[in-house]
Amino acid sequence: MTASNRDVREIVREEPFMRDRILNVLAEGPHTVPEIAAAIDRPAHEAMFWVMGMRRYGFVREIKEVTPEGFFRYGAVQKEARS
Amino acid sequence: MTYYDALVVGSGIAGMESALKLGDMGYKVLLVEKEASVGGRMILLSKVFPTLDCASCISTPKMAASIHHPNVTALTYAEVDGIARDGDGTFKATIRQKPRFVDEAACTGCQLCETACTVAVPDQFNADMVARRAAYITFPQAVPKKAVLERAGTSPCIYTCPAGIKAHGYVSLIRSGEYEKAFQLVLEATPLVGTLGRACYAPCEGECTRGSLEGSLPIRRLKRFAADTHYAAMSGPGVEIPPPNGKRVAIVGSGPAGLTAAWQLARGGYGVKIFEAAPVAGGFLRLAIPAYRLPPEVVDQDISNVTALGVEIATNSPVSDLEALRRDGFDAVLVATGTPLSTSLNVPGEKLEGVQPGLAFLRATKLGGGADLTGKRVVVVGGGNVAMDAARTAVRMGASETTVAYRRGRAEMPAHSAEVDDAERDGVRFDFLVAPIEVSGDASGSAHATGRVTDLRCQRMALGKPDGSGRRRPEPIKGSEFTIACDTVIVAIGMASEATAFGGQVTATANGSVVADAHTLQTTVPHIFAAGDVTTGASDITRAVGQGRRAAHMIDRWLRGEPLEGFDLDDMLPVVDKGAVLARQKSYDGHSQAFAPAAHSGTGGPADFGEIEAALTEAEARGSAGDCLDCGVCAECGECVTACPSDAIHLDMREKVDEVRVGAVVVATGYKLFAADLKPEYGFGRYKNVITGMQMDRLLAPTRPYNTVLRPGDGKVPERIAYILCTGSRDETVGNPLCSRFCCMYSIKQNQLVMGALPLAEVTVHYMDIRAPGKRYDEFYESAKSMGATYVKGRVAKVTEKDDGNLILRYEDIEHGGALVEAEYDMVVLAVGVQPNRDVERLFSGEALALDDYHYVAEPNEDIDPGRTSIPGVFVAGTASGAKDIADSIVHAGAAVAQVAAHLESLKVPA
Repeated sequence: MTASNRDVREIVREEPFMRDRILNVLAEGPHTVPEIAAAIDRPAHEAMFWVMGMRRYGFVREIKEVTPEGFFRYGAVQKEARS
Repeated sequence: MTYYDALVVGSGIAGMESALKLGDMGYKVLLVEKEASVGGRMILLSKVFPTLDCASCISTPKMAASIHHPNVTALTYAEVDGIARDGDGTFKATIRQKPRFVDEAACTGCQLCETACTVAVPDQFNADMVARRAAYITFPQAVPKKAVLERAGTSPCIYTCPAGIKAHGYVSLIRSGEYEKAFQLVLEATPLVGTLGRACYAPCEGECTRGSLEGSLPIRRLKRFAADTHYAAMSGPGVEIPPPNGKRVAIVGSGPAGLTAAWQLARGGYGVKIFEAAPVAGGFLRLAIPAYRLPPEVVDQDISNVTALGVEIATNSPVSDLEALRRDGFDAVLVATGTPLSTSLNVPGEKLEGVQPGLAFLRATKLGGGADLTGKRVVVVGGGNVAMDAARTAVRMGASETTVAYRRGRAEMPAHSAEVDDAERDGVRFDFLVAPIEVSGDASGSAHATGRVTDLRCQRMALGKPDGSGRRRPEPIKGSEFTIACDTVIVAIGMASEATAFGGQVTATANGSVVADAHTLQTTVPHIFAAGDVTTGASDITRAVGQGRRAAHMIDRWLRGEPLEGFDLDDMLPVVDKGAVLARQKSYDGHSQAFAPAAHSGTGGPADFGEIEAALTEAEARGSAGDCLDCGVCAECGECVTACPSDAIHLDMREKVDEVRVGAVVVATGYKLFAADLKPEYGFGRYKNVITGMQMDRLLAPTRPYNTVLRPGDGKVPERIAYILCTGSRDETVGNPLCSRFCCMYSIKQNQLVMGALPLAEVTVHYMDIRAPGKRYDEFYESAKSMGATYVKGRVAKVTEKDDGNLILRYEDIEHGGALVEAEYDMVVLAVGVQPNRDVERLFSGEALALDDYHYVAEPNEDIDPGRTSIPGVFVAGTASGAKDIADSIVHAGAAVAQVAAHLESLKVPA
């Protein structure tokens, strides 16, 4: 879990850079944060920063139901819906 | 100087209460808050104990009242820089209003600027659990709800660019995938986007703060990426043609200065015609810089940006009569003819066949008439960039041996080091500390006769004392003459302008440069301006672009009758301190090298004039841009300006410092939270699912950073949550023996809220003893227990992390025989204590504000005189004097207000 311990500022700064990679993953359908992290080959806690930042600014939205493992899934919000 | 009865420093709950009560009493109050909203920490909480009232619901009315109270003047985003007591018992306070870069009156709080912003930073108002933007509104309930742009200064890459290009801005746009916007941002300064993306010497990269880590971002090549992407999609600039304004400007010379000026003027609606003496437009871009560095089609694409706006370029059209242009109807003239003349060697034999100026050699090659140098031995004399271009071109023209002879050493070469490296890579040989004294020929053995070059006689040099250029002067070594056998000598020792071509219509210096004011670029003839190398002497493309941009601006002002003095074209904030930028992070783990391959790969010799430098792939470009440290925080990309429907963004706002006189001061500067990573045994900062109590409060708040309470490590809904009380309080090991008074209660509050939000969650609290002494506090504690929270007495010794992110707590279970127990949890909350806000120590000058043994503001007689401090007329409210919960802070503020009122009334009583 602590394999990567980068500074929060460094992780957060990459959100605009990671955004399209995450949206590409979500083009296949909603994913949990660990699934997104695995798909982009980055630690889950870093993906958490990016997904929550994207959620805040309307790029992704959570699906109501929680998976049996206890995770929400997040899906891409279409651009028209964001504006 | 404005007078207020009282100055209240800090707008947390104690500060607001103090200001409002004093205002209600009729006193004029100045409330100063350093953040962009009033409200302090309370507004960030989920609920308050023991009532579980919504913190926002009970805070916001006070926040709104603080702003709108008729007797309270509230300054947000302002700091008190100093307070000094005057002889009459009043105080003089210096207030620094920080620039929001947003017109508060115009801003509607719509957040479109925030949505458009390309810079993500940790949101301190969400305890760093999520990103905000550099353009932001502090939090949803902010009062005033106005945006602010976080700008730490000008980023070094922008500050150092002579062309005025917002490098940080286009890097930030590329990072966001906005390639066309990045191109357009460069276009704001110059049409030569593709050209500068290749041939600029990138002073920005030399100043890049990443340079002191893994290496600079490839800022220049990012610009090339933006240009290549744009030109792959369309020709021309992709901008609207402005309506004509009826005025005409003639530009003499189509180099980077002339083209940039033409672009800027045409965008302002001017009718522009460029007169170019050469058969092609572009100046040195087309006639000197070799194609392997700058392909001609790239220059053509950039020039098409200019012509797309209706600029007419007349080639083969030298101008010698500048006044005639006026008679032809041009309202202003810009001379931008560069430095087309090559400096002569002034040695015997320079007229021999095979000796040629560097510029002429490059020009002939570019225009397709270059000499075939197959098998020839070439000596290039000079150490500048033209010499490097000539040498590398000679190699490509077939020279069997190319030698650069330079009179100083490598360290003194004016050529950019990358050019020298590249020349060496091409196989060019360097002979340093060598000066030619004669060119020898084969016709008669006399250097003065006509004939072909056979060799170059040279003399060895040694470096003496520095000359006027700051470089060490080369001095000949007697008896060191020698010859270099050669077939061709290319002279590239300097360039000069040709101001004499204008027949004295403009004033020229002794070396042929046009005399123009360095700021206005106006010559001695008012309607004639001059820019670029023709005024400065040989420089580089980027400086010429900057001059062209400035000239256009000045011509525009002059034609509109505006003064040319008294303003700064690029009114920039001071450059940020790189040390301060690096200090923002505790660690760096960049990856730029993985995304930015070396600009020059391979060591093979040059095959042709094909472009050498590889373009960045999209992944490389975006990855490299992602490494930008956002030195100035705001990237100056301009997206917020474009997005704002109210034209409220004003990047030219600057800090204002004012002085006020006040009758009394209330210090309500609050507290700081204990830095949880100072208890390393609990793993905060290393274990992602160990959070602080403040972070949990944010997760529970209506305006939370996540959709519910989730583990920061992976987004899992936690099922087992542990609290560790007294983290950093009642703890001598961290120098804080004091109880923080409200950690037990906020933890109990959170226990109840967590169990409400996550009905299946188990909550366990590890405590030393529960302190619930207030009204209904113990009942609140019992209620939490009855809801299912478990309270375990015993100090937690250590937290360790499992691979799945779960956490193992090791503790002594005091109430069950003192057994050592290990328990597993999904998430751990550290109930961190509070610490004094020592910023208060800097507030007063002249006399120190006394602090107690723990560095809180001292109340010398707190039992019987609460709120009074060591300085008459200065009072303290709330947690600035010690840990208090919200209710006690309000009561304490009431006491301080009473003291202030008594003090102010006493000033009115005649002695």
